[in-house]
Amino acid sequence: MKPIVVFHEVSKWYGNVIGINKLSISIPAGVTGLLGPNGAGKSTLLQLATGQLCPSQGSVRVLEQEVWNNPGLNRYIGLCPEQDAFYEWMTGLDFVQTCARLSGMNQSASKEAAERAIYSVGMTKNSRRAIRGYSKGMRQRIKLAQALVHDPEVLFLDEPLTGTDPVARRDLMDIVLRLGAGGKSVLVSSHVLHEVQSLTPNIILLNRGRLLAEGHVRQIRELIDKHPHQIVLICDEYRKLAGRVLAWDDVESVRVMPRERGVTVETRSPDAFYQRLPALALEPGLALNEVYSDDDNLEAVFKYLVNA
Amino acid sequence: MTVTAISDMPQSDRLARTSGFGLSAISAMFGLTIRQHLNGKRWMVLAGLFLLPVGLAILIRAVSPDVPHRLLEFLLAFMFIPQALLPLVALVYASGIIQDEQEDQTLTYLLVRPLPKWSIYVVKLLGTLTTAVLLTSMFTILTYIAVYIGSPEGAGSVVTRCLKAVGIHSLAVISYSCLFGLLSLFTRYTLIIGILYTALVEGLLANLPFGIRLATVIYYTRLIAYRSLDFIVNVHGHTTNASANAWQLDVRNDPNLLEHPSLRSCLMILAGASILLTFVGAAMCSRCEFRVKTPGGN
Repeated sequence: MKPIVVFHEVSKWYGNVIGINKLSISIPAGVTGLLGPNGAGKSTLLQLATGQLCPSQGSVRVLEQEVWNNPGLNRYIGLCPEQDAFYEWMTGLDFVQTCARLSGMNQSASKEAAERAIYSVGMTKNSRRAIRGYSKGMRQRIKLAQALVHDPEVLFLDEPLTGTDPVARRDLMDIVLRLGAGGKSVLVSSHVLHEVQSLTPNIILLNRGRLLAEGHVRQIRELIDKHPHQIVLICDEYRKLAGRVLAWDDVESVRVMPRERGVTVETRSPDAFYQRLPALALEPGLALNEVYSDDDNLEAVFKYLVNA
Repeated sequence: MTVTAISDMPQSDRLARTSGFGLSAISAMFGLTIRQHLNGKRWMVLAGLFLLPVGLAILIRAVSPDVPHRLLEFLLAFMFIPQALLPLVALVYASGIIQDEQEDQTLTYLLVRPLPKWSIYVVKLLGTLTTAVLLTSMFTILTYIAVYIGSPEGAGSVVTRCLKAVGIHSLAVISYSCLFGLLSLFTRYTLIIGILYTALVEGLLANLPFGIRLATVIYYTRLIAYRSLDFIVNVHGHTTNASANAWQLDVRNDPNLLEHPSLRSCLMILAGASILLTFVGAAMCSRCEFRVKTPGGN
């Protein structure tokens, strides 16, 4: 099978700072996870793959075409960017429809496509509200809808689950899984292994702009699981939440963060922990506002992997 | 709730709908730019500034009813507006053509569409010119109403003068916008550099009777105004050419200003320069790499 995305000896410098360092990689069709801590070069890689950045060295090809200065290729590419930025005064429908029209669709076709894309991410009910009033989960969904609206062959999702609540996280994961099952190729970046692992077994590990590893997740999981994982839970009743999770056997420690109204949990069984979260969030008073994994934690794991 | 809903569409239909760079994409970009301007607060600030000449006209007429209307017109519509307001309107809008999208991190949504980068710049510039011209025209007309309402000057003459002023101001604001739009592709400090340029070059140097003023927008704007409108006013029994004196035009030795470009040349220079600046900006954009800062920090 021909690769969907090919990086050949690609380097990208921002002045003296290296974003990507001599990266050569072929990404096959299907869902692939791009994993790495902050500053690993994930966003740079995705910006290079979507033609926003020009490689300082090497070549980037998507669907067998050079990406840089090739706007026609964007008909087949969708990007859900990392930044939480929108035309805030627009409604969700307006925003997605504008993106459809920018992709070349006429007024009626763009409206139809926007409604379908919005439906596919479960935002129909809120599509006529101004984006400035959306929750983080809604914003991620509408961002995904604009990436889907022109029905691209290849999707690049940059940290699509960041800052979302468990329910939105689950829904967004389902959407990505359906896209993969529907024959789309998806490259999804994250700094949380468990998120990526829930989406695909095929992962690419980046660190400091270099390819650290690629292949099946199982091969590196064993190494990574030797390190305790820190997971941050933000909840109005954070003290009650701390008491609740401390009772779990796999939780090694809980640190209360009154200023952030949350707790940092350390566990050696992150999979089991994440699986229990949705049920926990449904308990009275324990609605979780945000769940994320500390970047420093993953950085430590990567240091370990590099040394290993 | 599945995404296959989109994929279910026939391939031919899908390809037709995503045919890319076309009128629909251009009109969407143009509409987006205008809506961004309307949703921002800048137009309100600029409208407030544009109300200054209107307010001044009302105030001066109320306090000193003897001031000739034509002198008032000259001072407000041809000294204050082109010298102070038009560069400001152009600077405020044109400096943000690409930079606003970069700072708001929304440029990504435009860059990942099947649109050449030069077209993003050109269409957004056209949207900017539309906003600037509409704003300028509206308040130029208001200034004329404030200056001439109830005056003995014939309505036909006032309307003609007003329309000429609207045209001159529009051409000037277009030239300024194209200039500052291009400048914004070179530096992030367009506002500061633009204000310095306006004060030093368009303000100071253009008022000196040297050749350097041929490189300023205001010089051609004034010449067009001088050659298409007269500003002969009678103040306390003395007839004087207000514009020649104020604009350092030596009408005593060169009554027909033969040493200066003709009306047609001035129009062509401003229009030509605007087109040239737009082409240079478009060419730059097609090669440019626009970096949008991500939370990760690249």
